[in-house]
Amino acid sequence: MLGFRVQRTVSMGLKSLWLHKLRAVLTALGIILGVTSVIVMLAVGEGASQAVQAQIRQLGSNNIILRSKKPPEDSSTASATTFALSYGLKYLDAERIKATVPQADVIVPARHIDSEYIVRYHHRVSGTVVGTVPWYTEVAKRTLSQGRFLTSLDMHRRATVCVLNGPIVRKLFPFHDPLGAVVKAGSSDYRVVGVLEGRNAAPGANGAASEGSGVEIYVPITTLQSRYGDTIFKRRSGQFQATQVELHRIIVRSPSLDEVVPISKAVEQILAYGHTKQDYEVVVPLQLLESAEETKRLTNLLLGSIAAISLLVGGIGIMNIMLATVTERTREIGIRRALGARRTDIIVQFLTETILLAAGGGLLGVALGVVLPHHVVTRFFDAPTIVTARPCILAFSVSVGVGLIFGIYPAYRAATMDPIEALRHE
Amino acid sequence: MAIAQVVDLVKTYRMGAVEVHALRGVDLAINEGDYMAIMGPSGSGKSTFLNLLGCLDTPTRGSYFLGEQDVARLSDAQLSHIRCHRIGFIFQSYNLIQQLSVVENIEVPLYYQGRSAHESRLRATALAEQVGLADRATHRPHELSGGQQQRVAIARAMANDPFIILADEPTGNLDSATGTEILALLDSLSQQGKTIITVTHDEHVATSAHRVVRFGDGRIVSDT
Repeated sequence: MLGFRVQRTVSMGLKSLWLHKLRAVLTALGIILGVTSVIVMLAVGEGASQAVQAQIRQLGSNNIILRSKKPPEDSSTASATTFALSYGLKYLDAERIKATVPQADVIVPARHIDSEYIVRYHHRVSGTVVGTVPWYTEVAKRTLSQGRFLTSLDMHRRATVCVLNGPIVRKLFPFHDPLGAVVKAGSSDYRVVGVLEGRNAAPGANGAASEGSGVEIYVPITTLQSRYGDTIFKRRSGQFQATQVELHRIIVRSPSLDEVVPISKAVEQILAYGHTKQDYEVVVPLQLLESAEETKRLTNLLLGSIAAISLLVGGIGIMNIMLATVTERTREIGIRRALGARRTDIIVQFLTETILLAAGGGLLGVALGVVLPHHVVTRFFDAPTIVTARPCILAFSVSVGVGLIFGIYPAYRAATMDPIEALRHE
Repeated sequence: MAIAQVVDLVKTYRMGAVEVHALRGVDLAINEGDYMAIMGPSGSGKSTFLNLLGCLDTPTRGSYFLGEQDVARLSDAQLSHIRCHRIGFIFQSYNLIQQLSVVENIEVPLYYQGRSAHESRLRATALAEQVGLADRATHRPHELSGGQQQRVAIARAMANDPFIILADEPTGNLDSATGTEILALLDSLSQQGKTIITVTHDEHVATSAHRVVRFGDGRIVSDT
């Protein structure tokens, strides 16, 4: 019985809206655009945040990354740096961490030689020579596409072997199998034993994910040490500059997520003890992840309030038109009242129309919101988008709620008309 | 036997600071099958009386028995229920709902009675046929002539099988030929035993009625 009445009321409402199709669509436009923009914005936000999170996760959420940083120059040190600028992490730091924080199970030191020419016959590219240890791939979450990574034996023998990354392979070996070939980096030859898979790096994650995207060649850190020594000379705009950096990077891996923060605190203390200058930085991907999630929460809050305002505006638009409709249909209301409609019937009739209008607008908005991100935003603006169910359901229910709230007053106005007056209305 | 009876009916309006005494004590019994014309000059209270009989309004004082029930003190929702089940309205300007078709207009009272769609459609179609509009069942009011529209209104007034049919100047907007047709239709309803009360200025309408009640200054001045 109730279902039957609902069905008839809804079909009556639809009929009445259908009579003024253009007006109905224009009235619902506020809701349509509000819902669409909410879903699109949240999809863009979600896409960006997922991309950032993926990048941070690539660094490994269990890892703590220590990096050497050129200290800020001040007048007292300026005179002392005339010969060799010495800064950054030391082997001693790695030893200290290992000794002081035993739960940090794996420690990966790495040293970079930047802007080296890497040569194979007449192909030449400028890249970075990274000296590191065999367990680098495991900790940095890199995978091999070919061959093997460095081994302990390589380390022990200071073997002249290297592993290339994706970009360098494309440049030096456009048509050949790199395995077993020999490349020259700086003044030494290295035999290629493996190739690392490329990593999709995009800017945005505080530069934290920038490594791995350029041209890189990995050699045992012991080999690097014996080939280059501690001091790197570089000629830059006619001037020689010598820098002395023992290690550029140390990755400390925590055995569990819970211990990441305590270990990072301990590591920071150890480093602060051994360094007089702030010539290092500590990056904790987990904290980056947490701050990214916090940022996302704030963004969602902001988007949510924009959405609320736009839906409010849409609701006011609907109320405005419904008030006009009620006045326009005063005569009809009088007739219906004379023929036996109760006030409740009139309220239900007009409220149904408003809710149908808002819900229809919401539905259209959801449909547009589902289609637009992928087909327009991702295609033409090249931004990742992810449409999730939650904003769709939320936006739709809010638009129905808006219809309900903004429909009450016009419906009440219609129902409380005096039937005699309404019948006389021209 | 009286199907409707009013006792000492008084209706007073306030229009700003002025009190308007529309009805000053009306007693009238309406018998089943009556075909009554209510006449009187403008402002004599006949429209107010019709609104009270139609349960669109409540009297300031007095009683109104419709069937066994005193309906003078009912709530708005209860009055709606009475209108829905006991009263049929015919208006001067037809008052059809423009966006509905002929049968849908006839169905409106049945809709508020909560009848099923199928049952309503059957009854509305039969009534449309009875008033000679079977071939216009799906037309909209604006596609019909005035006489045809008034016939739809009459069919609608009969849809709920009311105790009384109230007609307010049913021929007022029609030319005399069409008016005669409508009066003939009302006559035939009266012969079927329907109780009809019509308010009119038109002596021609009054002659077709069996009983003429004349109003003057809020009172009944003659009842013949």
